[in-house]
Amino acid sequence: MTAIQLNDVSYHYPTSDFKLTIDQLTMTANLVAIVGQNGAGKSTLFKLLTGLMQPQTGNILINHHDLADLSPADRLKTIGIVFQDPSSQLFNATVEKEVAWSLSQTESDAAVIAEKVAQVLATVGLTDIKDKNPFDLSMPEKKLLSIATVLAVDPQIYLFDEPMISLDWPSQQLVTRLMQQLAREKHQVIAITHDMDWLAATFSKIAVLSDGEIKFEGAPAALFGQPELVHAVGLLPPRIMSIVSDVLGDSRVYLTPADYVAKHQTH
Amino acid sequence: MANNQQISINDLSFTYRHDSNAVLHHISATAPLNSIIGIIGNHHAGKTTLCRILAGIIPNMMAGDLSGDVQLGPLSPTQNWPALNQQTGFVLQDPASQLSGLADTVADEIAFDLLNHGVANTEIQHRVTEVARQLQLTGQLQRSPNSLSGGQLQRLAIATAIVTKPAILILDDPTSEMDPQGRTEFFNWLTIIEKTTILIVSNEIDDLCEIADRLWLLVDGELVNQGTPLEVINQLKPDWQIGTPQVYQLARSMNWSLGTDLFPVNVNQLRGCLHDRHST
Repeated sequence: MTAIQLNDVSYHYPTSDFKLTIDQLTMTANLVAIVGQNGAGKSTLFKLLTGLMQPQTGNILINHHDLADLSPADRLKTIGIVFQDPSSQLFNATVEKEVAWSLSQTESDAAVIAEKVAQVLATVGLTDIKDKNPFDLSMPEKKLLSIATVLAVDPQIYLFDEPMISLDWPSQQLVTRLMQQLAREKHQVIAITHDMDWLAATFSKIAVLSDGEIKFEGAPAALFGQPELVHAVGLLPPRIMSIVSDVLGDSRVYLTPADYVAKHQTH
Repeated sequence: MANNQQISINDLSFTYRHDSNAVLHHISATAPLNSIIGIIGNHHAGKTTLCRILAGIIPNMMAGDLSGDVQLGPLSPTQNWPALNQQTGFVLQDPASQLSGLADTVADEIAFDLLNHGVANTEIQHRVTEVARQLQLTGQLQRSPNSLSGGQLQRLAIATAIVTKPAILILDDPTSEMDPQGRTEFFNWLTIIEKTTILIVSNEIDDLCEIADRLWLLVDGELVNQGTPLEVINQLKPDWQIGTPQVYQLARSMNWSLGTDLFPVNVNQLRGCLHDRHST
């Protein structure tokens, strides 16, 4: 199992007052969500976890190895990044070449590349449009393609920044299933998200950032059982809790409609 | 058929130039003016193309093979685009792409269209302040548009679209970059705009069912259903792969029906449904 450990990490932008300070954060669960409102430090933490930005103090250990010491090639095999805006990571002439290019950074055997590219395009459902230019794709297709480029490399850790944004319902289902499957295959999947309904339905472990600090670590049900904390860190409870509280006056914790049904459909 | 109080789309089909497949197939739909119409469907359903036709961008700026007709009350995007354009606000899927790029500040960007319309300076200031207040951009008025977050950019694009007080507002996925609080506030705000026909494309099915008067559902370029959110959600077919609102999921599983196999799709309907069950 992969373990990511942050020790006394801090990052301070030269041009703003914002400072990220994380004394101790250990992520061992296979599916971890990082949440917080705009300006809480999610993107800063994300950039530090990618290794694209170095903490000014402290260190980030991945399986006891300092992330800063990894060579670029090792880093690619360790951490795969899916950015919020897929256009920022696509630049090849066709969908197929895009995935092949990505894999060619860590793999040189053409036959292996061809086989793997075909496989991941099938996984994300883009086989039929493999000859299209990535810039002619719809937003959900671009996002699926950017995920395919990371799947091809098969890193230990997957970092997703707001993966549900710009996806339609079927592609949200597909990406969620894919993330769950990666987690079952012992990859570590970390997502930054604003989407409390998706978070409540999908993740077992969450870390809440507010004002550059970790304010909560634990299960979604434990977070949403503390309405004052949820409010203080600028989050909203899952929609089902608002519905049930509004209409039925029931302020207990429910993560999804199915969760409510399971707890009440005994008769 | 022609009715000055209606939006009517009649047998509309469209194929982009250099493309062999039609994007929209024989679409016919109606809705009263001054209502909120939610346009739903998955990618490649034709939602953005329909918005472009309603706004007159197709065929006036983007060419292709267009047949059928569209009437927005007394106005038509194909027959009298300048008149329609004067009264239409359009927010594109990518908000940054529609800003002028010329303005140094958010305030100037919002004022841009008003200046072009020759509106007096005092009136411009008044309207810019008011629109910024409504869209919570007051604190950003003197900042550069380039310094805004994705959600703020979307609100700026909306501000520039509504500052001219359009009779028709066309919004193509306007909340995709907003956080949940911003999104909820935005949908609530839509319901208080008066005397405006709002056509909104969105994947936020829960929010749409709270505010829309009508839903138009597109699947692969065909309008497969139209009606109130209650009707459209209750008549969904699994093949269409459309998500359902949480209220509906809950009510269906708990068998809280409104009678005759209809399940509520928004909080008010759910409240009414449970109230009726308790009183009978």
